Amino acid sequence: MITKQRMAVSAAILLLFCGVVLGGHGLYIRAKAALAQVLLERAWAETIETRRPVKAWAWADTWPIARLSFPKLHRSAIVLEQAGGEALAFGPAHVAATPLPGENGTSVIAGHRDTHFNFIKDLKVGDEIEVTTRAGKAVTFRMTGSAIVHAQASGIDATGGTPRLALVTCYPFDAIGQAPLRYVVFAEEVSAAAVVSR
Amino acid sequence: MSTNLVSRGRSLEWTRQLLRRAGIAAAVLMTAFLGSSAIRADTTPARTTSGYVTTSEMGTGSLLLKTTEPGQYLEAPRLKTDVAITVTGPIARARITQRFENPSDKWVEGIYVFPLPQNAGVDTLKMQIGDRYLEGQVKEREQARQIYERAAAQGYKATLIEQQRPNMFTNSVANIGPHETVVVQIEYQEAVRLDGDKFSLRVPLVVGPRYSPPAEALVADSSSSGMQVVAVHDPVPDRDSVTPPVINPIFGKINPVTLSVTLKSGVSLAAIESPYHDVDISRPDDKTATVSLKGPVPADRDFVLNWKLAANGVPQASLFRETIDGKSYYLAMVVPPVGTTTPHRQTREAIFVIDNSGSMAGESIRQAKKALLMALSELKPGDRFNVIRFDNTLTVLFQDAVPADAEHLLVANRYVQGLDAAGGTEIYPALKAALVDTTPNDDTRLRQVVFLTDGDVSNEDQVLAEIGKSLGRSRLFTVGIGSAPNSFLMEHIATLGRGSFTHIGSEAEVDARMTELFNKLESPVMTDLRVTTNDAKLETWPNPIPDLYAGEPVVLTGATDETTGSLRLEGRMGKKPWSTTLDLASAVDGRGVSKLWARSKISAIEDLRYQGANQGDVDAQVLKVALDFHLVSRLTSLVAVDITPSRPEHEDMESHEMPTNLPAGWDFSKVFGEDPEHPLMKASVDPALLTKLAANDKPVVASATDGVQLPQTDAGTTLQILLGTLLALAGLVVLVGTRKRAVRS
Repeated sequence: MITKQRMAVSAAILLLFCGVVLGGHGLYIRAKAALAQVLLERAWAETIETRRPVKAWAWADTWPIARLSFPKLHRSAIVLEQAGGEALAFGPAHVAATPLPGENGTSVIAGHRDTHFNFIKDLKVGDEIEVTTRAGKAVTFRMTGSAIVHAQASGIDATGGTPRLALVTCYPFDAIGQAPLRYVVFAEEVSAAAVVSR
Repeated sequence: MSTNLVSRGRSLEWTRQLLRRAGIAAAVLMTAFLGSSAIRADTTPARTTSGYVTTSEMGTGSLLLKTTEPGQYLEAPRLKTDVAITVTGPIARARITQRFENPSDKWVEGIYVFPLPQNAGVDTLKMQIGDRYLEGQVKEREQARQIYERAAAQGYKATLIEQQRPNMFTNSVANIGPHETVVVQIEYQEAVRLDGDKFSLRVPLVVGPRYSPPAEALVADSSSSGMQVVAVHDPVPDRDSVTPPVINPIFGKINPVTLSVTLKSGVSLAAIESPYHDVDISRPDDKTATVSLKGPVPADRDFVLNWKLAANGVPQASLFRETIDGKSYYLAMVVPPVGTTTPHRQTREAIFVIDNSGSMAGESIRQAKKALLMALSELKPGDRFNVIRFDNTLTVLFQDAVPADAEHLLVANRYVQGLDAAGGTEIYPALKAALVDTTPNDDTRLRQVVFLTDGDVSNEDQVLAEIGKSLGRSRLFTVGIGSAPNSFLMEHIATLGRGSFTHIGSEAEVDARMTELFNKLESPVMTDLRVTTNDAKLETWPNPIPDLYAGEPVVLTGATDETTGSLRLEGRMGKKPWSTTLDLASAVDGRGVSKLWARSKISAIEDLRYQGANQGDVDAQVLKVALDFHLVSRLTSLVAVDITPSRPEHEDMESHEMPTNLPAGWDFSKVFGEDPEHPLMKASVDPALLTKLAANDKPVVASATDGVQLPQTDAGTTLQILLGTLLALAGLVVLVGTRKRAVRS
């Protein structure tokens, strides 16, 4: 009787422990994602000031290249150069094969649906997206539409034309685990305002 | 060898990721407990030392793109090469065997960029599958590519040999099955080089990473829409095809090569030497020698073999013939008499151009500096000189050429000694600067430009066209430096610049090679060379025949219907006329002479492009010769396709660019920047400029193409939190349950 009970207790403690570790890890990644953005905001301020790439922490394998803000949703994010494979853990990352945001062509920026880009689904056609480039230039984009595409066949042609954005996150939004589909928000440039002075 | 490398690379990468994860975890904790100032203090010093990754993004140094995620190359096919060459008289016939081994569980395509001698006439391709051989066919480039791509898509094994540059080729092999090996054989021939009494054969084994100058965007300002790119001029339109990924040597060397050369000469051979590789030499008799590498070596530097003829030395004239379908092809090698008159030393204006870009870092810059200092010491009173150095910037030491007096030489010596190698290789502006001639009518001095560079750039067309346009009275001499120079560019700068070229492959060779060069600089020993004949059908190449410098023979190929008659060669030695007559009937058999003639013709016609010839005319002629003689060229490729498909329809094929070694003696960080994170690097160009290349307005969503590949965008936290919560809840329920039962009992 005693042994049976002890076994049940041990099993329960093990379950509890595993649950806390696993859940804790998930929470930790979310905390890390949030914290990274705080550090990145600071690195970004310095980037704008010095006009040079600045790393947010010494061993970072990536650096901020632009800042996105979504006035209507009161959200913002620092976009990272996707130099290594880890950038997405810390912020939305620029897909290297595409132009930089604000340059001619379609700049593709991807973010995790469960962290930095969880609000992308709330964007509506006509919403403004403000981009600050590393040169300190502010460019306003407006959402023109959205699409659900396959990751391996996005149909996005990055080259040519006026500056455009494609913000990408996993789809469906509430599903769990890795998925082949992506939700893409398309936006086009409205105006290029003057250089932000700091 | 490769297995070692793979596991080492993988474990390094793994350790690094672990460290990175541990690092960020520590950062999170530290910030949580100590506040963020600690991180900040931590960050500042690192940024000033090694925090930066040198990329074009950051506007410094060489231009780079990362191609693959770290470690991904591990899945790429592996390569082994065997080279077997037979040299009969002056003709070398080579067979290159490339074994593509697929270590992965997937179907793959391997794309390998490899070098061949700049005058190699590639005429044969064989693909070995199991115990069958499939012969390749020469087709027009576009057609060959279509055949290959269709076969690749339908699951057939196929291979395609394309010329990217006269000395750089691509071998694409499609549908290599899991753990399968596909063997591809390529054959070419060339004439061996003769300089003085020394024959030499150069087999390049690696393409040095080429610097591709960025595209220039022409911008117009229209008041309504602001600045707009109206046109883009790209000096390297095919940049993606000429920049294979390069493995950082700290991860080891790949692509093992075995090589053997059999020399068959009609007379006894002497002084056989391989200056850069350890070899075994066996001599069945004194007219034959077999030279083979001592064990496999990594493909990371040119193989060179030199030899001499014993006894009476090089015959004054030799003539070889091959007759095909009633047409006779000739190869003539004529050594002009030497030592009859020492040419009078003319005063000169010498412009020395030294490449101090990143690819020269290490041994190469030491060799180049030593050679240049030696050249400066050779200047005589009365000469004028200048020094130009270039990387992606340019310095012209003196505003104009200055007298070679002690004062100026001292300045120049100090300047050269202080040179360091870093940055991109912008050879074109340097060449333009060197060709600026402020006294074009000064006939008291020879104007000679001496270029010291590895020539590892991919805008050869742009550079050579400039020579065709603005050579003037200048003469260009090139000194190819280092273990894997771009010999095509070196040779053709000299040909179009009416000068001569020299290779320096090690510091020990500097003295000997530069002494040879100084002899050549004295002035050409033979000018105004031409063929006179009463045979109207005789077609000789090259045409015109270049001037000869000390030690150089006339190498001439001809085609005619006749097997008798004569070929008369006329020229001028200084002011004295010179001529010699070759009796066609005396020619000895030479297999492959017809292909040498065709290859020589293609080369000569291609050079006309740089001298303002109509591109359409050039293309038509090159295409005809290449198809008639079954040769790979800029416009023709070799393609072979298996007869039955091998890849099942439901399996996909992954494409891999095969990594290449960094040439021996190069400094990886000086070419690709300080980025130990990535074992593979690809020299390329500013991505921002590339996107501007397509000026036309395309729809954002083009359903016809696959478009940009999108990354995984789920961090997996929702699942973890959900599962974690469920597990913890289950644990709690069980715990509470057992407690209650315990209390009850």
